[in-house]
Amino acid sequence: MQKYIWLVPLLPLIGAAINGLLGRKLRFSEPLIGSIAVGSIILSFLISVAAVYSYGFGGHPEWPKPYVTSQDGFSFSWIPGGMVSVNQGLSEKASIEANKNAEEQLAAMTPEERSQHPAIIAGAGASPRFALLNIEWSYQLDPLSSIFMLIVTGVGLCIFVFATGYMHGETGFYRFFAYMGLFMFAMLVLVMGSNFLMMFVGWEGVGLCSYLLIGYYFDRQEAANASRKAFITNRVGDFGFALAIFGIIATFGSAQYVDVFEQAKSYPIELLGHWGILSWIALGLFIGACGKSAQLPLHVWLPDAMAGPTPVSALIHAATMVTAGLYMVTRTNVIFQHSQTMLLVVALVGAATAIFAATIGITQNDIKKVLAYSTVSQLGFMFMACGVGAFVIGIFHVMTHAFFKALMFLGAGSVIHGMHHEQDMRRMGGLKKYMPYTYWTFMAGWLAICGIIPFSGFWSKDEILWNAASTTHIPLGWLVWLVGTIAATCTAFYMTRLMAMTFWGRERFLEAPAGGEADEAHAAAYDKGLAQHDATYPAAGDRPRHEPGEHVGPVHEDVSHHGVHMPHESPPSMWIPLAVLAVLATIGGLIGIGPAFRTWTGTPHPGGHMNISNWLAPIIWNPVTREFNTPEGGHEAAPAETAAPVNEAAAEGGHGSAAAVYGDTGFNLAHTVEGATHSPLATEWIFILISLVVAGIGMLLGGLFYVWRPALAGIWSQRLRPLYVASYNKYWVDEFYGWAVTRRTMDLARAVYRFDSRIVDGIVNGLAWLSRLFSRIVGAFDKYFVDGLVNTIAAFIMRLMSPLFRAAQTGFTQNYALVMVLGLIVAVAVFFARDILAVFQR
Amino acid sequence: MKQAAANPDLSKFLVIGALLFIIGVAGVLTRRNIIVIFMSIELILNAANLNFIAFSRYLSGMGNSNALAGQIFTVFVIVVAAAEAAIGLGIVIALYRNKETIWVDEIDLLKW
Repeated sequence: MQKYIWLVPLLPLIGAAINGLLGRKLRFSEPLIGSIAVGSIILSFLISVAAVYSYGFGGHPEWPKPYVTSQDGFSFSWIPGGMVSVNQGLSEKASIEANKNAEEQLAAMTPEERSQHPAIIAGAGASPRFALLNIEWSYQLDPLSSIFMLIVTGVGLCIFVFATGYMHGETGFYRFFAYMGLFMFAMLVLVMGSNFLMMFVGWEGVGLCSYLLIGYYFDRQEAANASRKAFITNRVGDFGFALAIFGIIATFGSAQYVDVFEQAKSYPIELLGHWGILSWIALGLFIGACGKSAQLPLHVWLPDAMAGPTPVSALIHAATMVTAGLYMVTRTNVIFQHSQTMLLVVALVGAATAIFAATIGITQNDIKKVLAYSTVSQLGFMFMACGVGAFVIGIFHVMTHAFFKALMFLGAGSVIHGMHHEQDMRRMGGLKKYMPYTYWTFMAGWLAICGIIPFSGFWSKDEILWNAASTTHIPLGWLVWLVGTIAATCTAFYMTRLMAMTFWGRERFLEAPAGGEADEAHAAAYDKGLAQHDATYPAAGDRPRHEPGEHVGPVHEDVSHHGVHMPHESPPSMWIPLAVLAVLATIGGLIGIGPAFRTWTGTPHPGGHMNISNWLAPIIWNPVTREFNTPEGGHEAAPAETAAPVNEAAAEGGHGSAAAVYGDTGFNLAHTVEGATHSPLATEWIFILISLVVAGIGMLLGGLFYVWRPALAGIWSQRLRPLYVASYNKYWVDEFYGWAVTRRTMDLARAVYRFDSRIVDGIVNGLAWLSRLFSRIVGAFDKYFVDGLVNTIAAFIMRLMSPLFRAAQTGFTQNYALVMVLGLIVAVAVFFARDILAVFQR
Repeated sequence: MKQAAANPDLSKFLVIGALLFIIGVAGVLTRRNIIVIFMSIELILNAANLNFIAFSRYLSGMGNSNALAGQIFTVFVIVVAAAEAAIGLGIVIALYRNKETIWVDEIDLLKW
């Protein structure tokens, strides 16, 4: 089945092409567009499931090695790069060794094989070495890409179905689904590509689609600005990513994952403060990840990206695209684990982002803004996990987050839809009664993100915090744990606030008519059916018709006394995806039950392949054994010190394992606690209880402030006014960037402009002036001297010669005849000269 | 003998032809009346005709089989002279209608 995985990205692309190229021209109906889009995603999803099943569970011979489609002949030579010299970052010894290997390899090969193989070292014996670079277009199926394929197509499917309901009535319906399909294609290329350049193509592709979809309502200034902001901010990150790819090619002579990681395995580990080539590559990769996954300091675009339609926010800006950074960091965990410095940077940036965004989320009033900051914060958690060496847990959190955050975004979309495009939570409240399906599904997402056992968020978040506390990869693990715990408390608080303001409490929309007259009129027009809209604005074209803030033209007289809008439950096409995601958000975490539960499950990672730790183990590099981990069974069969995944080595009591490689990392919270309790299991449970307790505290505080004593919120925001204002204004990061980057860029542009207009233009204009002056001189010379000379000569000839010539022309016929006769005489004289002379001589 | 018998007349014909030619040329150059000029041109042509005839006879006396060509030429020249006279007199009439003169020194339009 895995032979056919190239269909997985292709199908959404075909769907997008049909919708995008023909949808408008042939006036496709909404059901047709919807079924083309959803149908292509369903097929993709089914193929993905079948491929992953046969790869992981069908006794596939490749398992757990990566399967690259070029093995079955699906591969195109995409960029035939030719010979490249590979001389970066090799120590002397590694270089010699590589040359020796290359010689042996070359000797064992026929010339045909040599030309076919993408990255065989060809310049054996010489230094620098040379590699035959050949970037191919082929897809890779391995545990990591499987997970992402399933998340992208599965969650994507739910969101596509939801969008057919949510986007109902938009004129740009075909355009929306064309972009969405294109996005699915790019995202799948990103996660399924077999080399870094394919990842880059997907990376840029999702960036483009994100730009297009944020700016979907392109006639709203706010959306257009947000789309540009997202695109430009991502360019900063992509710059680092591109440099890292160049570094990888220069160092390893290949971009193929398999080749790169095989070589990277043998590089020496760069400890804290040592900046070797792998640290620099990791830095570039991480800058790219920061841009795409909205980490500090490049997080600013994600909250603004909420200007796009809500399904876009759910799919791109919560579930899939923003996790591309995590995918990349995990994919290159070999490189990251070689650089302790970069691991520390990743962990600290992740922790800082988590707390930073969580505190902003507390004070925002726009329901989508809260969720956006929540996403940034959760992404911070994921990076925290990667930074402390628990890449598997990072991906686990990606997955659970995709479930519950997509659920909550879609739930928010449903609320916005039901509230007639009201996004401000201050005008909601009490929606439980009006939107029961949305409420109950949202509840699942809320409990999951707060980290309540056994909802999915609990398993992943708890594992992250535990790994932070017990890490031996980096120092300052305790700090990461502390910050993460506080951020988790904030998370529980602001999510409870969101629940309370939206679904519980007073029905505030009854009290304050939403958005004044214009909104009212607009909502009324919407209620009466879109036909009226069309009748009013027949030439509206692709304009968005019912988003907030839109100018709706003249107020309809007959609806000014319409009264309050009652919220309504969304149609089944919207709540069924919610229900599916709610189930996933509830039980999805069970595939990653932590080792702390081994008392009941009997093994640290129950479920065999189905357990995410076992599933992902083969792609995680172990710094102790310097090999990739073996899948399940390895834990038991081999000594824990060497064979278990690093992140779990600590959990299983093997605290010394990573320390042997990364040296002493200073104070370790988990070890200290364990020293006090003398039991690894008890230690783990202490940390689980802490995370449950802080989640409970957060929820209780949220309940206290927004359910039981609503007045408290106002009081405390007054008491903590400076903090409140800072958080409400998002710590003025946008303003700071505006001052430090945008203004300075404008200043630079103005300075350049001045230089251009004064110096460059001055030179050009001066030269022009000079040539005009010169031409005037030349012109005068020409006019007075040359022309004068010519005229003088002409006048001379005219005055002198003309009487002569004129005299010859008498006009009398006989004069001409005389000349003719004279001429005849002369001719005769000349012709017969000899004879005439002879006559005279005689 | 035969040559001597045929020759004596030729030089006399030629002299008369040359005289006629010179008279014609003098007439063309000196007379102002355009009709007289035409007549002088006729004299020139006839001088040429006389030469043709004289040489024709002389050459036939010499036994030249092509000698008749000279007489044929003379016929042609007479035809051409007739045509020329017709056209020329037509021009003269047209001229006279326009300028009321046939004196060539008053017809100096060539100077333009």
